[in-house]
Amino acid sequence: MSTDSTGEYDGPVTEEITVTVNGEPITAEVEPRLKLSDFLRNECGLRGVRVGCEHGVCGACTVQQEGRTVKSCLSYAVQADGKEISTVEGLAEDGSLHPIQEAFHETHALQCGFCTSGFVMAAKELIEENPDPSREEIEEGLADNICRCTGYQNIYEAVERAADEMDATAETETGTGTEE
Amino acid sequence: MSKSQPGETETETERESSSQSFTGTGLPRVEDHRILTGKAEYIHDITPENCLHMTLVRSMHAHADIASIDASEAEAHPECELVLTAEDLKESYHPMPTGVGRVKIGATGEAVELPEWALADQTARFVGEPVALVVASNRYAAEDVADLVEVEYDTLEAVADGMDAREDEVVLHESIGTNVVDNEHIEFGDPDAAFEEADHVVEGEYSWGRISGVPLETAGVVAQYDEESDSFDIDCNIQLHTLVDDMIHEPLGYDADDVRISVPPDVGGSYGTKIGIHRYCCLAAMASKELERPVKYEEDRIENLQGGDMHSSDREYEVRMAVDDDGTMRGLDVWFVDDFGAFPRYPINQVLKPLSVVTNSYEIDDVSYEYDLVLTNKTSQTAYRGFGVDPHIYALEMLVDQAAREIGMDPTEFRRRNLITPDQMPYTLPSKNIYDSGDYPATLDRIEEIIEDERDGGLLDPEVVESKREEGKYRGVQPSVIIEPGVSGSDWTDRQRSNREALDERSRDEVEELPEHLRAELREDGTVHAFLATDSSGQGHQTLVSQLLADELEILPSDIEVGYLDSVDAPTEYGSAASRMAVMLSGATVGVAERLVESAVELAADHWGVSTDDVTYQDGTVERLDADGSFSLADLAELDAERDERLTSVSYNYDHPATEYEEFDEALAQKFPVYPTAAFGANAPIVEVDVETGEVDILKFYTVRDCGTMLNPMIVEGQAHGGIAQGVGAALLEEFGYEDDGQPQAITLFDYLLPSIETVPEIEMEHTETPSPFTETGAKGVGEGGMIDAPASIATSINAALDPLEIDEPANRIPVSPDHLRTKLRDDE
Repeated sequence: MSTDSTGEYDGPVTEEITVTVNGEPITAEVEPRLKLSDFLRNECGLRGVRVGCEHGVCGACTVQQEGRTVKSCLSYAVQADGKEISTVEGLAEDGSLHPIQEAFHETHALQCGFCTSGFVMAAKELIEENPDPSREEIEEGLADNICRCTGYQNIYEAVERAADEMDATAETETGTGTEE
Repeated sequence: MSKSQPGETETETERESSSQSFTGTGLPRVEDHRILTGKAEYIHDITPENCLHMTLVRSMHAHADIASIDASEAEAHPECELVLTAEDLKESYHPMPTGVGRVKIGATGEAVELPEWALADQTARFVGEPVALVVASNRYAAEDVADLVEVEYDTLEAVADGMDAREDEVVLHESIGTNVVDNEHIEFGDPDAAFEEADHVVEGEYSWGRISGVPLETAGVVAQYDEESDSFDIDCNIQLHTLVDDMIHEPLGYDADDVRISVPPDVGGSYGTKIGIHRYCCLAAMASKELERPVKYEEDRIENLQGGDMHSSDREYEVRMAVDDDGTMRGLDVWFVDDFGAFPRYPINQVLKPLSVVTNSYEIDDVSYEYDLVLTNKTSQTAYRGFGVDPHIYALEMLVDQAAREIGMDPTEFRRRNLITPDQMPYTLPSKNIYDSGDYPATLDRIEEIIEDERDGGLLDPEVVESKREEGKYRGVQPSVIIEPGVSGSDWTDRQRSNREALDERSRDEVEELPEHLRAELREDGTVHAFLATDSSGQGHQTLVSQLLADELEILPSDIEVGYLDSVDAPTEYGSAASRMAVMLSGATVGVAERLVESAVELAADHWGVSTDDVTYQDGTVERLDADGSFSLADLAELDAERDERLTSVSYNYDHPATEYEEFDEALAQKFPVYPTAAFGANAPIVEVDVETGEVDILKFYTVRDCGTMLNPMIVEGQAHGGIAQGVGAALLEEFGYEDDGQPQAITLFDYLLPSIETVPEIEMEHTETPSPFTETGAKGVGEGGMIDAPASIATSINAALDPLEIDEPANRIPVSPDHLRTKLRDDE
């Protein structure tokens, strides 16, 4: 790709962006065509963002942007300029697993693990919006993510266990339950 | 170089008492922590410094001569580092080995080679076949460059249907003159007599659509050529890296020792499919040698679905059963065509594996088995969970339904009458393989009880069923007992490359089986480091070895770390496939632990100057019986470090269990599929068919399963859940359809429909545990069961649901898509 009228090749056109990733601002020169997923993986070193299809079906690349889940293979890094992104790497605090991660571990809700980051991020949004999801609501909440190993049975259990745990934690912290 | 990941889990691995055992419990996996925190390193995550990126120019035609390739504009692109075509490869390298290798042609019987170059040589034979490789500084730039490679094609007529291909009107490889590159007809007992004498001969024709594993992680490779040592380091997610390494080093023209293949500890699923990714490994290695820099290739999803050498079985069956009026199954006649795509790749023996369970759970003495292995203008076949058994069981169970109908017997009663009984175990099949143990009638009874419960006020309550029918929704279920052959032997797998006429005379002594290799060593801090010679793709092998080794050594799983050996450090072995690891790896772990304990005892006795009889090993400590001293594992490691020859680094080769029993001698010597464990199960998927839309909804999936001793029940259940989900996909959703001209219809995940959380039903599972008498731990193979049994069970349940409409075999084609069912229903109207 040529960037100037003299025909000399200076490399591709780039643009400076600043994205807050897991709480830290990251500034980079990127090509406008760089996918957000590739930016997070290659520029930010967040390899927990997995790329399974690059056309928005499998959900392995699911991250949160401004608190909402997005499939990072379907947007460009430049579209995230000035925004906040969180990934699975930002979940564990002080070395201890987030309740959703812990529940996936305890219930054997992962095998090869390639879809797991995406499922954990999707489950996070689901539980944040609905602290006590029914099986039907879990189905709806996770319908945009594909797992090829587990047959989903233990993923239901993981979400239910995580929701219970997060509810209990919330009760302890605030002295009230979410149902009240 | 060996790869390992620390056992960084802080899970509940405390041993509550010395009698407590980790084996047999659902010990949470040691693999999970790194995956859940995003730290696991899959192949896509490996990018060495100075690494360049490869992409491929692929044919958009199903069949075409390549008239010319003009790379001048591409090479002029400032980011272009390299363009290679088949012409370049042929100057320095070799073709990839094919499954058949030499094909016998027609009248003269002359054998000719069937070379497959890693880039299409003169002719492209399927859409997506790589024609040129391009290397640039990054993948985005590489694809810009690839767009500038100009390929001119002269298109040819294509053949995309296996049955049509047999006619040889369009021939894929002119040098061999036919598309039928292998066939065999084998008879066991006297099938002709059985069919002549039986009261009825029942016939059926069934289609199994082209499907595959479609792991979420696509293929990937990072190849580094080192000029100084004239050798390669190749990181990739290939499956069976010690077995199929010849697929990589032979095309490169190097010895196995000069091509070091390492697979990351974490692979994002394979299910058999990734044994066939060697093309990418070869090409990245060749590019790396040309450029003397690391070269990385990541397959994208469209490449993977369209031309990734990763489709699996695609079969047309014509089957017959000889049956008597009293419901006795007398004979079975199986004929099928398997469409292997453009080249007959390594897993051609998946047409033979069904012989290991040829009559499923039924006693049938006289069997005829014949196949044609054909080539078409489609991407080549690889292995997929079930390895060709799944379509066989589906066709057989469909035929059983048809036979029951013809003789007017209840299909469950018909099945029950013919089941192999516990007193017949171990049971030798006509095809020479042996079922080890199990109570099939009891399993059928149990699943029937479960169904009876649903008939009593549940999903199948007659009133509910009747009122649903009025809404056009037909419910039904039809169980059967289905066998999962486990723990494939290795020797038989080259039957098709052997002189088959001479096998009758072959001696048992000529059989060479590959054992499972495992190493373990004590480290200075008293922890144990084990090394697997196989690769893993989500099965939890590190956990399995940790828990077994912890029990055998009487230490904690957290004191054990499990790593992996690359293809140079590991001996050639079969590896993780064909439901082998639970048996082979557990046997090897028990063996290596025994060696380590023996060494510890010998080391301590030697130091104390006493007999080994005077010391004992317990709880990770060696003690003198006279209580005059003890050594911890850390002490022993220190003692050993002072010695010239290390005692605390041991290895063990667990022999294939079939080699230990003379009952298997005939099968082994004659290269019939040898699978010494028979896991089994019975499914009851309660289906509801909407006759307006043709859609099938599985309301609930009951399953009763037995895989012998369960080493880790949590992992066993996970394998069953996943296999059943893949079986649901195969039965109802998935297919790589093709137009008549060879254009693929499913090249994205919008077209190839993977089961989602919305389409996989609730699975309710029960287990029985009948240990295998043939294996060290009593375990049986368990990796493939759900994929083998679920499609057949779903198909027969659809037959049952629509039985009141008297449609002729509604599920005679897999997948049973809404379109297929609507056509069947419409034809019937």
